[in-house]
Amino acid sequence: MNTFFLVVGVGMCVLVLFCLYRATMGPDVLNRAAGISAIGTKTLIILLLMGAVYERVEMFIDISMVYALLNFIGCLVLARYIEETGEVSC
Amino acid sequence: MIKDYQDVIVKTVARLVVPFIVTYALYVVMHGHHSPGGGFQGGVILAAGFVLLGVTHGLERTRRRMSEKAAGVMSSVGVFIYAGTGILCIILGGNYLDYGALTGLLLVSRPEARSLGILGVEIGVALAVMAVMCLIFFSIFTVDEPGEDEGSTE
Amino acid sequence: MEITLMLEATENAFRIMEKARKHAVGLMDTAVEFTAEETRYSDRNRIQALFTGGQGRKTRFQNCVGTSVILFAFWLLLSGKFDAFHLTLGIICSLLVAYLFHDLLFANVRVGDMKIVVTRFLAYIPWLFCQIALSNIHVASLVIRRKMPIDPQVVMFKTKLETDVSQVTLANSITLTPGTVTMDIQEGIYYVHALSQKAADGLSAGDMEDRVAHIYMEADHLYVQDVLDAARIYEELKM
Repeated sequence: MNTFFLVVGVGMCVLVLFCLYRATMGPDVLNRAAGISAIGTKTLIILLLMGAVYERVEMFIDISMVYALLNFIGCLVLARYIEETGEVSC
Repeated sequence: MIKDYQDVIVKTVARLVVPFIVTYALYVVMHGHHSPGGGFQGGVILAAGFVLLGVTHGLERTRRRMSEKAAGVMSSVGVFIYAGTGILCIILGGNYLDYGALTGLLLVSRPEARSLGILGVEIGVALAVMAVMCLIFFSIFTVDEPGEDEGSTE
Repeated sequence: MEITLMLEATENAFRIMEKARKHAVGLMDTAVEFTAEETRYSDRNRIQALFTGGQGRKTRFQNCVGTSVILFAFWLLLSGKFDAFHLTLGIICSLLVAYLFHDLLFANVRVGDMKIVVTRFLAYIPWLFCQIALSNIHVASLVIRRKMPIDPQVVMFKTKLETDVSQVTLANSITLTPGTVTMDIQEGIYYVHALSQKAADGLSAGDMEDRVAHIYMEADHLYVQDVLDAARIYEELKM
């Protein structure tokens, strides 16, 4: 079972690399925001898989809940800021 | 600067989720011994709840719940709880922040007194961290309101 | 026939009272502004809360109790420890949070209807799962084909739901169903992006909207409670 979780975790890391491409190469800020939000979701799953591998899932659930919360709020604040100031370049 | 947001979905979801965020933050503070957490982490999550309210419902309504004056008072109260617990230990005969000296006051055994002393200190830390982060959020987001600074000569 | 006439008359009466209430709110706001220095802060809050539909004391108490029960259940779910010390901490924390944030969870629901709304909501969820499964099969059948016969379009429709919780429930249900995504809600008009003509037709039929209105008991009967609220304000004004 541990090997299965490890393989799935490595697969998720490869998917994170694809999202990282969009987060760095995106022509404007909105692409980068979407990429980082997707990376946040995958990081959540990687944390839970690590918890399953180390057999201390309850500890890692707390950490992943906090990360989900901060990802949500950060994405919202960024979107609000872009809407208010209207800067989509850089 | 942040006017009232007119989006129904984000406002409703934020208003439904904020009590659960604050409860989760208090859970993280109180269970510092058994799972990852403690004072600083719980304070940051509390502040994140207030930031969510401020971003979605506008700064005016959030100021009614947590004004800048209340945040200033709460940060001082948090530090006061921390230092006060230490001085209480000195008064009861131990060293500074030697929680074992609290056994006489709380009528529990020495290890339990240490555990309760740390819990009290964590609550103070959480209050102080939450208040300071709310103050930082408010000062960053009201930086270009008219009449804020009256010392400029331009 | 008489019942229809009576309903119409009551509706007209309610509309007239609604207009009068709006005028009264405007007058009261101006009066409060002019006499701001003399009115004490607590009085002004009470009068404004009366007109802007703020919660009375009994509703606030019921909201506090309901919120603290829900938050304590959430606390028990998070912390697996059931000894006296942690349970006491949980009770204290949930009561504190419910006292500070009591007007957030149950802002727009009349507390007497809570049991009916919860029961109907729980009965709505299996139907939603069926719809999600059916739409999944439809979208998968579209996407797997080589030519990918999708027909993306934006559908706009005006909703008959009133409270924000019901509008958010409908928007979430539309987004959860594969093939449709709610983009925006502006002044009661939904802007939904649909992937194919079949999904857009399912949306315009309004089946999901009817079911959500049935959950929150809106748009299907006359609001006696609203008439009673307006009557209460009139009583206060007549003083």
